[in-house]
Amino acid sequence: MISVRNLTKKYEGFEAIDSVDLSVKKGSIYGLLGSNGAGKTTLLKTLVGLYKPNTGEVLIDEQPVFENIALKERVIFISDRLYFFSSYTIEDMAKFYKSIYPKWNEQRYRNLKQVFKIDFNRKINRLSKGMMRQVAIWLALSAMPEVLILDEPLDGLDSVMRQKVKNLLFQDVAERSLTIIISSHNLRELEDLCDHVGILHQGKMIVEKDMDDLKKDVHKVQVAFKEEVKPQALEELEVLHKETKGSIQVYIVRGEREGIMHHFSKLNPAVLDVLPLSLEEVFIYEMGDTGYEIDHIIFQ
Amino acid sequence: MLELDLRSRLPIYEQLVEKIKTLIMEDVLKADEQLPSVRTLAQELTINPNTIQKAYKALEREGYIYTVKGKGNFVQKIEKGDQREKLMLLKTELKKILSEAIYLGMGKDEILKVIEEVENNVGRDQND
Repeated sequence: MISVRNLTKKYEGFEAIDSVDLSVKKGSIYGLLGSNGAGKTTLLKTLVGLYKPNTGEVLIDEQPVFENIALKERVIFISDRLYFFSSYTIEDMAKFYKSIYPKWNEQRYRNLKQVFKIDFNRKINRLSKGMMRQVAIWLALSAMPEVLILDEPLDGLDSVMRQKVKNLLFQDVAERSLTIIISSHNLRELEDLCDHVGILHQGKMIVEKDMDDLKKDVHKVQVAFKEEVKPQALEELEVLHKETKGSIQVYIVRGEREGIMHHFSKLNPAVLDVLPLSLEEVFIYEMGDTGYEIDHIIFQ
Repeated sequence: MLELDLRSRLPIYEQLVEKIKTLIMEDVLKADEQLPSVRTLAQELTINPNTIQKAYKALEREGYIYTVKGKGNFVQKIEKGDQREKLMLLKTELKKILSEAIYLGMGKDEILKVIEEVENNVGRDQND
C-alpha cells in the first residue's frame, strides 16, 4: 500500500531524512518510533505529499503522492500541531471536510458523537487540547480514508479515550482494511497498537520488524555454572550479548526456548533460568550500540 | 471468554493461540462451533485485528480450527487417528522436558505424581 524508496529530505543542507526505505502493507498498523528530532514528522509529511522529496520516491497504491489530488482524497494526515479555521464549530469543520473528501460519511460522523460526546456546535479552538485531538480523529474517521497517518496522536488523551480511539482504529482495520501509520517517541504507546514497527534515529531507519516476531525469538538466560565453562561450549548458540553479574552470567540468545534450555542444561548449571525479553530489551540488543544510545529516550 | 495479559513478555498472538487451544482441549469450545470473528474479537479485546488473524492462521495450520470461506472459523473435530503425528511430536517434546527435569534432579516418583495430577485434572474436565 505504502512504499518509500531511498528517500532523502534536506532543509538548507541539513539532512532530516537520509536514504530511508519503508513499506507498509494494506490493513497494517505501522508504528514509527523515534526520539525528538529523529525525523518522524518530516518523514510523515513527505509521506502524505506535503513535502517534496529531494531524492527517492514515495508511492501510495503504486502512485507518487506529491501533488496527486485524487490520491490525497483517500489519505488523511493528523499533524502533531492541529490547525482548525478560527471560530469554526465542529459542524462547520465537518462541512468543510465533506466538500473536500468525496467518501465523507455523514451517518458515521453523526454516530461517532456517541463516542466523543462533544456538542456539534462547540467552537473547536475553544476546546481543550485533548478535545481538539478527539475532534481531529472524529473528522478523520468520518472521511473514510484508506490511509490514515497520525503524528503523535495519543498525546493528551486520557486513558479511557485512548482505549476508545484504539478500538475505533481496530474496527476500521478489521472492517475495511484501513492502513495506519502512527508515530510516537514512546514505545509503550505503540506496543499494544501496532503489528509492525520501525525505529528512526538521526534521519535513518535503524530497524523494521514484525511486532510478534520481535518478542518471540530472543531469550534472556540467567545461569550460574558449577564449574567453569569453556567458551567453545556455547559456540553453537547465537549469543547477542553477554554480561556477568557476580556469579550469575546473563546471556541474550536468539533461538527457541527449548533449544536454549537444552543446550545450557547439558553444561551442568547450578542455576538456570530462560526468560523471553521485554520489548525494550529486544530493541536494545537488536540495535547494538545505537540501542544503548537511544534507550533512555524512547523506552522511558 | 478470553483474558489476555497485555503486560506479559509473551507476544499477544501466542497468548491467543494458547488460550484458544486450551478452550478447545477442555471442550469449552466444541467441535464445529464457530469462533468469534476477527472483527468481534478485535472490538471486545481491543487488540490489533492483524494479530487475531495471525493467531487464527496458526491455529488452522496446527489443525485446531478450520476456515469456511465467507463464513468464519470453526473448531476442528479432533479424531484420535489424525493426532498420530501430533502425538509423536508431543512425545519428543516430553522426552526433552523430562530429560531436563531428571538432569536437574527431579525424581521418578515426583514425575509420576505430576502425571497423576494432570490426569486427574483432565478427567474432571471431561466429566463436567
